[in-house]
Amino acid sequence: MLIRNILAALSCIVLLAAPPVRAQTAPQSAIDTIEQRGSMMVGMATFVPWAMRDSQGKLVGFEVDVATKLAQDLGVKLELVPTAWDGIIPALIAGKFDVIIGGMTITTKRNLTVNFSAPYDYAGSSLAVAIALQPDFKLDKLNAPSITIACRRGTTACTNAAEFFPKATLRQFDDDAAMTQEVLNGNANAFAASEPLPSRTTIENPGKLFTPLSQQDQLNRLPSGMAIRKGDVDTLNVLNNWIAANTKFLQARRHYWFETQDWRAVVGKVN
Amino acid sequence: MAIIVAVLGCLGALVVRANTVLDHRWDWSVIPIYLVRTDPATGTWAPNLLLQGLFTTVRLAVWSLLIGTIIGTVAAAMRVSARPALRWLARGFVELIRNTPPIVLIFVFYFFVSSQVMPGLGIDRALRMAPTMVQLGVASLLASPERINDFMAGLACLGLLAGAYMTEIIRAGLQSVPASQIEAGRALGLRGWAIFRKIVLPPALRNVLPAMAGQFIVSIKDSSLVALISIQELTFMSSEVASTTRRFFEVWLFTAALYFSVCFTCSMLFRALERSWKLRT
Repeated sequence: MLIRNILAALSCIVLLAAPPVRAQTAPQSAIDTIEQRGSMMVGMATFVPWAMRDSQGKLVGFEVDVATKLAQDLGVKLELVPTAWDGIIPALIAGKFDVIIGGMTITTKRNLTVNFSAPYDYAGSSLAVAIALQPDFKLDKLNAPSITIACRRGTTACTNAAEFFPKATLRQFDDDAAMTQEVLNGNANAFAASEPLPSRTTIENPGKLFTPLSQQDQLNRLPSGMAIRKGDVDTLNVLNNWIAANTKFLQARRHYWFETQDWRAVVGKVN
Repeated sequence: MAIIVAVLGCLGALVVRANTVLDHRWDWSVIPIYLVRTDPATGTWAPNLLLQGLFTTVRLAVWSLLIGTIIGTVAAAMRVSARPALRWLARGFVELIRNTPPIVLIFVFYFFVSSQVMPGLGIDRALRMAPTMVQLGVASLLASPERINDFMAGLACLGLLAGAYMTEIIRAGLQSVPASQIEAGRALGLRGWAIFRKIVLPPALRNVLPAMAGQFIVSIKDSSLVALISIQELTFMSSEVASTTRRFFEVWLFTAALYFSVCFTCSMLFRALERSWKLRT
């Protein structure tokens, strides 16, 4: 009895006196962590053709090419961490990876929680509308309470749709497949997403959808940047200078993935 | 006989109606592509995304059930103990976990454990520096060095969830043994631990086997929740494949079939166990 009480008291003292586990007080810059670890961990989500899985299960796409070249130039290995898009910023802040290279649009709201590099790409947000609405179609027809617009949770296409069609009902989904299916089923009248998803979906489902906006007058044309944690000037400097030095590479890759369809033959069963 | 025909007829009508309304071009060919792949270097077959996800799900389920059973047994013993402090601790633990939705628990716990506790433990650093054989061994039992932190944090959440529910199941089993049995044991001269092992535990486990089978199956399905925190198990992989190929119905129907087969196997195993443990009276 006495020994048990003494042991209990001792264990309490030891637990209380043990140093508390907490995050480092002076966080290391991401670039230093990368160099120390010998690999760069990059967060991204599945968005065709920014990042997707080929038939071997490997991640391929525009963002993967960018991340691969960046890792090569830094002299480290690349580790891709596929993450659900609507939790990707909390995951970055929690330290799951060092940088987000996933076609993330630079918005001021996001900028309050993460730092963005200089823009390295531009994404246009557009619509695909159900064919039933095509006769006498005008864009303001979509701004009505009877209209439902589907979009992917956490993307700027959602914000754009809410901004341009405030009276319409917005339904948010966690992935592209669910969102497009909603419109094809007839439960939503349109979906808003970054090009080339609306055009591709229209081509793949002949006679079901149409795209009212041409390349020139998309809903919005916004810059994408690489996101890193706040308070990290060193990494920002490295990323910005890399982007400035690799404009030709970025343009060539953008042309390959977005303006040609050659990659479909190589990648396999991707839609 | 007539009832069976009627039910089948209704199901058939449902399928036909759904097909006409959906107007979907079925293309099941994506499933084999993402199930198994041919390694270009060696030419042998290797598991692709869906099978890799299935293996991770099975690992998560097995380990979380192991952890859950251990936590459950310890907490159940605490629940029926004579000391009020232990009883309160166990009761607090069970009530906290049971009365919070699993998803909310996973989000809260995961971000805390994963960002505060896991880096402190340094498991991933140790694993990265370990020899390749060790890394491969750990990868087949748990996860590769890049994924080990996430996997362990997700496992901790799922283990706690399973543990809370197991506590109540095991406690019910323990309390179902009549006091007269324990007194008889004492009359025979057995002491505490021997009584527990020989007199209390066998009938307790036999009585709660159906409930435990249910909990095992629930745990296997609960492992799909960790897809929300991007652990690469079957649900997460299916979502990736469905988004990439846009064959929504085919991929998710196939995933449902995979989960069904895993859970049904578990159910069959438990049925066999029940039969073999039945008392010959």
